[in-house]
Amino acid sequence: MTSPATLRRNTYIALLFLLPNLLGFLVFTFGPIIISLAGSFTTWSLRPSVALRFIGIQNYTDLFSDPNFYFYLYNTLYMLLGLPIGIAGSLGLAVFLSQKLDLKNPLAGKRIALVAAIFSAVVSGFLFFIGMGSTAFLFFALGMITAAGIYFGSIGYRTFFYLPNFTAGAGTILLWMQLYNPNFGLINQTIDAFNQLTGLSITQPGWLTSTKSLLGFLPFPDFFNNGGFGLGAREAIMIMGIWASIGGNNMILYLAGISNIPPELYEASDIDGANAWQRFRYITFPQLAPTTFFIVVMGIIGGLQGGFEQARLMTEGGPAGVTTTLSYYIYVQGFERLDLGYGAAVAWVLFIIIMGVTLINWHYGKNSSGE
Amino acid sequence: MELRTLLKHIGLICIAIAMTLPFLWMLGSSIKPHSEIEELSLVPRNPQPENYGIVLRQSPDPYTGKYLDLNFPKWYFNSVFIATWVTVLQVLTSSMAAYAFARLQWPGRDKVFLLYLGTMMIPGIVTMLPNYQIMVQLGLVNTYQGLIIPTAFSAFGTFMLRQFMLGIPRSFDEAAEIDGANHLQTFLEVILPMAKPGIIALSILTFLGNFQSFFWPLVMVKDDAMRTLPIGLLSFQGQYGQQTELIMAATVMNVVPLIFLFIAMQKQLISGIQLGGVKG
Repeated sequence: MTSPATLRRNTYIALLFLLPNLLGFLVFTFGPIIISLAGSFTTWSLRPSVALRFIGIQNYTDLFSDPNFYFYLYNTLYMLLGLPIGIAGSLGLAVFLSQKLDLKNPLAGKRIALVAAIFSAVVSGFLFFIGMGSTAFLFFALGMITAAGIYFGSIGYRTFFYLPNFTAGAGTILLWMQLYNPNFGLINQTIDAFNQLTGLSITQPGWLTSTKSLLGFLPFPDFFNNGGFGLGAREAIMIMGIWASIGGNNMILYLAGISNIPPELYEASDIDGANAWQRFRYITFPQLAPTTFFIVVMGIIGGLQGGFEQARLMTEGGPAGVTTTLSYYIYVQGFERLDLGYGAAVAWVLFIIIMGVTLINWHYGKNSSGE
Repeated sequence: MELRTLLKHIGLICIAIAMTLPFLWMLGSSIKPHSEIEELSLVPRNPQPENYGIVLRQSPDPYTGKYLDLNFPKWYFNSVFIATWVTVLQVLTSSMAAYAFARLQWPGRDKVFLLYLGTMMIPGIVTMLPNYQIMVQLGLVNTYQGLIIPTAFSAFGTFMLRQFMLGIPRSFDEAAEIDGANHLQTFLEVILPMAKPGIIALSILTFLGNFQSFFWPLVMVKDDAMRTLPIGLLSFQGQYGQQTELIMAATVMNVVPLIFLFIAMQKQLISGIQLGGVKG
């Protein structure tokens, strides 16, 4: 047992260590939480002409009687549909990467890598020389990726898969904006070239300019600005999100989870003659349940707050509001219409939604993941 | 068996190509002349590497004949400057707080820690609105201090380093105490060096997060001289959005240094993420 004197001394010392962080925490996190909650019941505004006064739950009743709020909430939830695809992809990549990738003869692997690198360099040099620059470039990249993959194995591939996650930000969003350009973006140009090559006529999606969605066949109310069934702005943002996250932290966590599965389980299944799918279905997937649970919970929390950067950089929430998520709506209310009180009310409603979903997850997830 | 291994490699190579193709297209487009931008090609027939010089305002834009109205080097400096300061301050304050939470016994410790954890669940945007108001009151809008100070304290960093420090055996503190070390010495000379993997991972994540940070600078920055890279790119997009080749040259200058940073630091980063069970 520690004596009261030591305990008191310890408290002072702990306080000294804690002070810088605690001070910042109180001023920039805890305080603002209280202010924003209180502010959501007032006329709080950045316009000097608006006097601050208490208006009760006015902001909240306004919010719930605003059809746009339900539209933006729907957009936020709809974009969450990319999450299961992304998580399944991360799991698939992790399983793929944790397989045995070494060739039996370690020297053969090194030789193949060297040959791939030299061969691609020579061929692409030749192609470049005869004026086929693009093919040369692609061929060179293919050769180098092959060399890196065979030489470094899973670490090499992991680097390529993780890069979109590490570089994610304004730069990659602008990059995708160009890829999605309906007329000369890489994606629609490729579809066009494919059509000309095969004589097919696949429609080029309007991507960021389109209000279509994959659920567009449903009878939505008018204020949802539904453009019918197809690939539209929301799908464009979802696909970009999957590209950016599929090989990211979720894959890394799955890789760690897989390496922690006791090898005896697989040895036993080999004796029973299980095939690859059965091994995944009855060993890998159940053993990864706690990891999946963590990833799903964090993914939903992040996803419900998401869509801000994409909306601000790519679409300004459009076309016709279909890419406006709740977080972008809060920004527009707070910093463009300068109505901080209303923005704070939306933020608190968003928090309650996140809290509710997390609690539901926790309740059901605990049972199924056996934690 | 050998054939199956090779097939796995082929599958992985295809995925790696799909993941890198946007980057390859970005590189190619960044050296295209404006006349070739609508062609489906990765490499232009008449490469124009001067695009980089145009973005950096070393030469006028041949398309309009004028120098661009933007300050890319300054944006870059601002981003690196702010991210470095935030990283240093965050690691300092987080590691000190983590020491208090993980290595010291004091009444109320777990309650205070729970309060920290609880606030991590509240969306960042909830605190952004009041923080902006606070910055207005303090007159720190559009200043480096205003961009750095509010982001210099992190519950997440405290949490992550606490987890790391909990894993260090007690016997190290006790040995230091027997040697007559005080808490400051124990912290600096025993615990910090042992928590180094966590500190490095946190530093990379914090630097990256603040280098790419979008929301806070977006509301705080009011003029071009204070713009960070992401905010600069946004205004660039607004002004010269039709000139894909220039946007891509700017994007390359944003993304490529990060690619090298990742390749250099990936071992530390990945092990940090795995150890902390952390979302970046």
